[in-house]
Amino acid sequence: MKNPGRIVGKIVIYFFLLIITVFALFPVIYILLSSFKSTQEILVGGTRIIPTEWRLDNYVKAWNLAKFGRLTVNSIYYSFFVVLGCIVTSITAGYIFSRGKTRFSKVVYRMVLASMFVSLGTLALYPQLNIAKIFGLSGTLWGPIIIRVFGMNATQVFIATGNINQLPIELDEAAKIDGCSFFRIFWQIIFPLCKPLIATVGLIAFRTAWSDYLLPYVFTISARNKWPLVVGVVNLKSTGEAVSQWNLMLAGISISILPMLVIYLLLNRYFISGLTEGAVKG
Amino acid sequence: MKKLVQANLAGKSKSRDYQLGDKVQEITMMMPMFIGFVLFSIYPIFWVLRWALFKYNGYSAPQYVGLANFVRAFTNDAAYWKSVGNTFTIAGIKMLVEIPLSLILAVLLNNKVKGSSFFRVIFFLPSVFSVAVVGLIFSIMFSSYNGIVNAVLQSLNLISKNIGWFSTKQNAMFVIILVSLWTTFGLNMIYFLTGLQNIPDSMYECASIDGATELQQFFHITIPLVAPVLQLVIMLSVLGTLRMTDLILVLTNGAPGGATEVVMTKIFKYFFSYGENSATEVQYGYASALSVITAVIMCIVTVIYLKLSKRMQEVT
Repeated sequence: MKNPGRIVGKIVIYFFLLIITVFALFPVIYILLSSFKSTQEILVGGTRIIPTEWRLDNYVKAWNLAKFGRLTVNSIYYSFFVVLGCIVTSITAGYIFSRGKTRFSKVVYRMVLASMFVSLGTLALYPQLNIAKIFGLSGTLWGPIIIRVFGMNATQVFIATGNINQLPIELDEAAKIDGCSFFRIFWQIIFPLCKPLIATVGLIAFRTAWSDYLLPYVFTISARNKWPLVVGVVNLKSTGEAVSQWNLMLAGISISILPMLVIYLLLNRYFISGLTEGAVKG
Repeated sequence: MKKLVQANLAGKSKSRDYQLGDKVQEITMMMPMFIGFVLFSIYPIFWVLRWALFKYNGYSAPQYVGLANFVRAFTNDAAYWKSVGNTFTIAGIKMLVEIPLSLILAVLLNNKVKGSSFFRVIFFLPSVFSVAVVGLIFSIMFSSYNGIVNAVLQSLNLISKNIGWFSTKQNAMFVIILVSLWTTFGLNMIYFLTGLQNIPDSMYECASIDGATELQQFFHITIPLVAPVLQLVIMLSVLGTLRMTDLILVLTNGAPGGATEVVMTKIFKYFFSYGENSATEVQYGYASALSVITAVIMCIVTVIYLKLSKRMQEVT
């Protein structure tokens, strides 16, 4: 059974997979390790990946001087409300698209579907900012929160629709005979059954909010104390003497990717199924 | 909401009213999202269509200029069309590398190699990070004086002096494509894996009984059966790359001298002054006109693609 050709083939395959593994992991590991290096070592560069001396200076400086504490709090605040809001709006929309019977819902469904292909993307930011100004929401994180929560993210909505489609319709019918209204069926029967869906939608919303750059950036350009982490970290690059701030940048990047990394390693199943389902079902 | 529920309860005895109540509830529940969708997705389209006809920079009074903005874009704005060219170059080259790579990885992991779920988790990892932060990470790694990439290449004696990764257009484009490949190859691999898992094992068994080699099986079973997923992945990949903004702003911000500007960043800079020393003056009217043109270009790409892939289906 075991011929030499097969073994060589296996070796080639694993070697290839190993190269891709290094490609995928190296940048993350390099940044995390470098954030513990001394300023001197960072500026000199070189091929050494593991710090010669492990230091926490960069984190202390980032936390105190560059106000990363404040930025982290802002990011948590922003993500918390986006996650909470998206869970409610996406699952409600999913329920309506799955069970609703009015022509209105059907038209809205078509429109959301079309928006996946015809959308202005970043080009819509300025008009969105304009609207937010009318409601007095510019300069705060509430503008981005409202846009993320009520703007109908097609991916999240379609994941919810697909999942609720799989719940047996008999549940609704039985409840209807018992006199439940459309809203009560949702609130007391469907929503409590959606726990895995809540996890998936919540994670996707968290990823979006935690990674968000341009949307919070254009809303809070001039309000420095409202910036989320990503905006603050990227700002270190665009302000003049970038190289002298590498230590702050490395610590900042690490602070911003670590929570994501931990959550992903713990819950990767939900992540992977969530991000793919939305596209395939849509 | 309470009122509605009460109204609904009152009409419970008559089945006709009951249905009406349900409808009212359904529409009421949809309303907040519908309003949000209209305000943040539909309204911007009309805003852009209207202001495309004006000369407006936010300070002086807007002035109606008809189609002048469009005339300017088509006759007198080489920089914009260059950014369109860059966008398609990046999307094209990236796709040629990414699609085969993701497909091959998916096929390998689907064949139940040991540690397949480990590799899956690792390859997907880059897709979970913020694209802006990823841009920052790579701009540090590719920095010309103390970046790790140059240091490694030098220690391997592959280069004699540091390469300026962001000082020629060619190098910068290479880095952009590499980084955007890094962020999405795992996601596309997962799409392919979902497609591959729908192919029944019995098909491969039959083929190998008939004496088909693994390579023949790949081209005659795997490829035709993942074709629908393939179409979807190509579509999403191209549209995603055409909309790329954050990565370019953070990674090169157009360096060197605007040579790697893509269509989205080009227009973004007409809407907002980005960075400390932004060279572009804010022009809302002209930016709107460019947005309209870009949206139309993307629509055309989508329609052509859908037509072509339909024809492909008919042929095979």
